[in-house]
Amino acid sequence: MRALCWSGVNEVSVQEVPDPRLLNRQDALVKVTASSVCGSDLHLLDGYVPTMMAGDVIGHEFVGEIIEIGPDVRERRVGERVTVCSIIGCGRCHYCAAQLYSLCDNSNPDPGFLEKMNGHASAGIFGYSHALGGFAGSHAEYVRVPFADVNAFPVPDEVADASAVFASDAVPTGWMGADLAEVRPGDVVAVWGCGGVGQMATMAAIQMGAEQVIAIDRFPERLAMAERLGATTLDYEQTDVLDALKELTGGRGPDKCIEAVGMEGHGTGAQYAYDRAKQALRLQTDRGLPLRQAVHACRKGGIVAVLGVYLGLVDKFPMGALMNKGLTMRGAQQHGHRYIPMILKRMARGELDASHLLTHPMSLEDGPKGYELFKHKRDGCVRAVFQPAV
Amino acid sequence: MRRTNGFGQPRGMRRTKGLIGAVVAGVALGAGAAAATRALAGRPPRPRPSGWYAVTVTTAPAALTGAERPDLLAWLAEHHEVRITPAPGGRGSQIAVRTDDGEIRERVRALKQLLETGEVLRVDGQPEGHRTPLGQVGLPTMRQLMRRGAR
Repeated sequence: MRALCWSGVNEVSVQEVPDPRLLNRQDALVKVTASSVCGSDLHLLDGYVPTMMAGDVIGHEFVGEIIEIGPDVRERRVGERVTVCSIIGCGRCHYCAAQLYSLCDNSNPDPGFLEKMNGHASAGIFGYSHALGGFAGSHAEYVRVPFADVNAFPVPDEVADASAVFASDAVPTGWMGADLAEVRPGDVVAVWGCGGVGQMATMAAIQMGAEQVIAIDRFPERLAMAERLGATTLDYEQTDVLDALKELTGGRGPDKCIEAVGMEGHGTGAQYAYDRAKQALRLQTDRGLPLRQAVHACRKGGIVAVLGVYLGLVDKFPMGALMNKGLTMRGAQQHGHRYIPMILKRMARGELDASHLLTHPMSLEDGPKGYELFKHKRDGCVRAVFQPAV
Repeated sequence: MRRTNGFGQPRGMRRTKGLIGAVVAGVALGAGAAAATRALAGRPPRPRPSGWYAVTVTTAPAALTGAERPDLLAWLAEHHEVRITPAPGGRGSQIAVRTDDGEIRERVRALKQLLETGEVLRVDGQPEGHRTPLGQVGLPTMRQLMRRGAR
């Protein structure tokens, strides 16, 4: 089959690779109909995530049709159209039972690297390095899905692939951000980053009753999308974000802050130059400017939810602000399984639509071009989505 | 004629000053080394690992003792010291095995997967693109290291 492989730093290529097969009794094979790029892929591309090997099939946000199931798959059926959660859960361990699926104990068969780095390993993820399990990704014609009953969700007929594909990652991640931030009616919520996840966090916060959502980015087309979702927007290249947030909130600061940027955060001024230099010299693994801003901006006693992917160490983290302002800070890879059934139902009822994120539908053969557009945000690219059958 | 060293000082003076500088530097270095030695000698010894590798499984302790226990657990208990205790808060059981062996850690993890999910998750044999010669050698090694985990 054809698949998009990581070939080296800033290099992906479409290659002929062996077809996947069932490796475990609870596996399913899915014929991929749409597979989206994701902002977190850029950390792989840019070479910040170790344990990537040339030849790894990437991609983790996808929808498709089940074509084969293992003998111990009980609920899924061949022919079903499914959204598959990017995070792999086993469904049985203590964490999965508590709906903390991205903390699954059993879905990362090679946990040693993360145990050494973080103290404990988190769940496996499709196409996201050998430290995260070494699972082949979804930018391919077919993909093997472990624990299919747990990780694959039937898509209602009313929901098109263009929306269902984002129910795999961007929508549940954004929804989880608003959930972790405990957004309540009357809240003012600030969201850093207007990519797919940031926009979905904005949408979720509004649906949860936030009185005002302030979305922060620098790309006009993304800010315009957030505005259409109902957000007030700030262009951080034009406006002093901390100053503007105080002004917009009567001096209090946002009640809830959601960071949807991650380890390659962009910014302005000396702090950003400092972060870039330290990361380039490998003196810190992650750039944390938006995260620092979120902690600094958040009102006393507020909550900061971190959705952006961080790998390891962030320098100059404002611990004093966190402690002295009595903030709560939460983060996680998405516990998608908790939200995906609800999201698909809302999509089917027309209450939630993510299809506008799909700015660049493409064939799988155009994968390298898709990542090029997405990485450099060219041509208004918010998400390139590959359709292997095209 | 008085010979200078080029800085308006007699040649011998530069030599003398250099000697004094070397002695001062030597004394300072010696004092620093002595202080470092004292500090190292005075510090507590580096803690040693417990030698136990432990996992928590959702299975009740009763299912892990007696004839019903899984074969892999029986094997571990035959070859290693194994301790099974109830996990607090009704979280199942804590299985601890006294070992520093990566292969045994891998088996303990496999036991947890078998108990909780009924099978050991595999990733070998998946689709992959072109591997470099280094990757062909390095990937199995990296996987084994990560599977067994460094202590």
